[in-house]
Amino acid sequence: MTDLLLIAVPAVPLVGALLVRLPRTPGGADRMNRFGASISAAVALTASVLGIVHGAQGLQGSWFVLDRAGACFLAVIAVIGWCSAIVSPTYLASAGKSLFTARRARAWYYTAFYLFWAALLALALVKNLGVAWLLIEATTGASALLVAYSGRRNALEAGWKYLVLTTFGLAVALLGILILFVGLAPHGGTLATLDWQSIARHARGLPHQTALFALILILVGLATKIGWAPVHNWLPDAHSEAPPPVSALLSAALLPTVMLIAWRVVLTLGVAVPHHLADHLMLAFGLASLAIAVPFLWRPMAWKRLLAYSSLEHMGILALGIGFASPLATVGVIIHLAGHALAKSLGFYTAIPMLRHDPASAHRAPRGLARLSTPVAAGAGISLATLSGLPPSPLFFSELLILLGGIAAHQIAVVSIAAVLMALGFLGLAHALIETLAGESRGHRWRSGRTVRLTGRLTVGLTLGLLALSVGAYLLADSHAGASLMRGIA
Amino acid sequence: MTGAVTWGLVISSLAVIVVRRRSLAILLVAAQSLGLGLYALTQESHTSTALAVTGTVLIAKALVLPALLLLTVRRARKERLIATELPALGRLAIAVAAALAIEQLIPRFGLTAGGVEHAAIAVLALGILTAVVRRAVLFQALGFLIAENGIYLAGLSLPGGLPVFIELGLVFDLVVIVSVAAAFAAKIHEQLGSGDSSLLEALRD
Repeated sequence: MTDLLLIAVPAVPLVGALLVRLPRTPGGADRMNRFGASISAAVALTASVLGIVHGAQGLQGSWFVLDRAGACFLAVIAVIGWCSAIVSPTYLASAGKSLFTARRARAWYYTAFYLFWAALLALALVKNLGVAWLLIEATTGASALLVAYSGRRNALEAGWKYLVLTTFGLAVALLGILILFVGLAPHGGTLATLDWQSIARHARGLPHQTALFALILILVGLATKIGWAPVHNWLPDAHSEAPPPVSALLSAALLPTVMLIAWRVVLTLGVAVPHHLADHLMLAFGLASLAIAVPFLWRPMAWKRLLAYSSLEHMGILALGIGFASPLATVGVIIHLAGHALAKSLGFYTAIPMLRHDPASAHRAPRGLARLSTPVAAGAGISLATLSGLPPSPLFFSELLILLGGIAAHQIAVVSIAAVLMALGFLGLAHALIETLAGESRGHRWRSGRTVRLTGRLTVGLTLGLLALSVGAYLLADSHAGASLMRGIA
Repeated sequence: MTGAVTWGLVISSLAVIVVRRRSLAILLVAAQSLGLGLYALTQESHTSTALAVTGTVLIAKALVLPALLLLTVRRARKERLIATELPALGRLAIAVAAALAIEQLIPRFGLTAGGVEHAAIAVLALGILTAVVRRAVLFQALGFLIAENGIYLAGLSLPGGLPVFIELGLVFDLVVIVSVAAAFAAKIHEQLGSGDSSLLEALRD
């Protein structure tokens, strides 16, 4: 029964990718999308509940592993995928020209969207590094088309940059996986050799040099897809040029899901390299991402581009949490992942009414939203306040947990630098928050149409989710929860 | 692994960095995949059936993907000379120097034939360098295929080859990526009147 349910997790959106092509009218495609998204999300959420309830030791199957960490990632992908699918018709209604012919543009959008979502859902479940690599590579094709969906010159540039950089990065990761496979070949030499459990069991027998070489290549390759500095160049462009529902899926689901794979690599292969080098590598990615992102958070920037640099900052914080490798930091990572996903996607969804009523906001910082539209201002305000780490947002608690986890891991110097960078990031975003809400507004008050009303409803739903996470952060902050999160793979 | 196969791969990768005509570069990459595929098939009787799958996949790749890229070239026939590109000799010098440096930096990783290890790393590096030193988007797409051929070269020298599932998944991904890259190349050409990727530099902070 569990096997069937977990097969259905990626299979339902795959079927959805076919079904959305059937209707002949835009309205029919939208209805099919809502139906497919609701079923897909319901199946994935059921699986994630199963994983959280029964996953203390990790549920294992022929192709999957579902531990509590994987279940949390699965839930996040399901929720963000559903929200993005639900807001997509609103975006498409005002999208105008696209990369595809007008008659089939909507069908192509939904097909690529569902293929991308299916690959992400499968990625959170697979128990094999080689298969995980194939799924990550598979996300690239569909998501590159979605990034360039508008067909504008800037979108083509962003899509092309994303395609080239991530594909070559993943080629480097594949070389690392091949080297690992060569090293582990005496223990089987089959596909199962690359199972997480097999890597964890045999990694200590690998020569240090082989393990280190494989680890560096895999992590550097995956870093290009996660958007960790210094290999993050595609990230601000792709996030700012993609349709807002796709930007949300990229930032809140793709980046963290690939990071889950990097995390599993660190946990399984990291034991084979001396001096905790895997953890140090994560800390280096974390500090570099924070240091690169923070100056951009201080600049007045177009809304989606600001959110993109904030993604770079938050991926850096998550890398630090993984690198500290203490139970407190691990709990912080999970809370941070979920809080960032909800807040960031809310931010991207508010871009839909923003761009519709003020198209120039694609190129300049928004100002005075409070005077233009209360629901949009509420969405943008809650998103930015949460992303800046303002208490009582869950990101305030998660950042605190990660830093305390760092102190528990005796990484005082890294914690000090990170705390300063996070404080600077907070000030930058707090300034942007004030300008966005209370700055001098341009134009008249926006009409409260369908887009604005949908933004209002999403703001209420996602805010409730954020509040629940803040309570969860308080309840989960004990070492027992942290230690059991990744038990399924070791 | 014969020296002819490894040297053929390295030299054809260098040639892609130098040649001007897109169609010739596509044929060179097709020849790489074909050579690797035929080699895998000739080895199949001695080692593993997995290599037969590899050989078949490589030969299919040698036929399908270049055909797709040639179609893109036909649709965008009037390609202007790309002014921002370095001269051929300069590109070659950079590629050789960078590939040698990378190959020296990376230690042995356990394949029985040391020459194959060096060649695989060099071909992967040359694939990435193709995307760096060539400005035409189509050459950058060819870089993917060259880099993957480097990985296949290393995979072929494993006693049982790579697992069949990985082989098939890899070729599926490659078909998707190259199809998307070809669609991008056609659209970029349509919008800019050129396939020059250096024209795509509007997004900067």
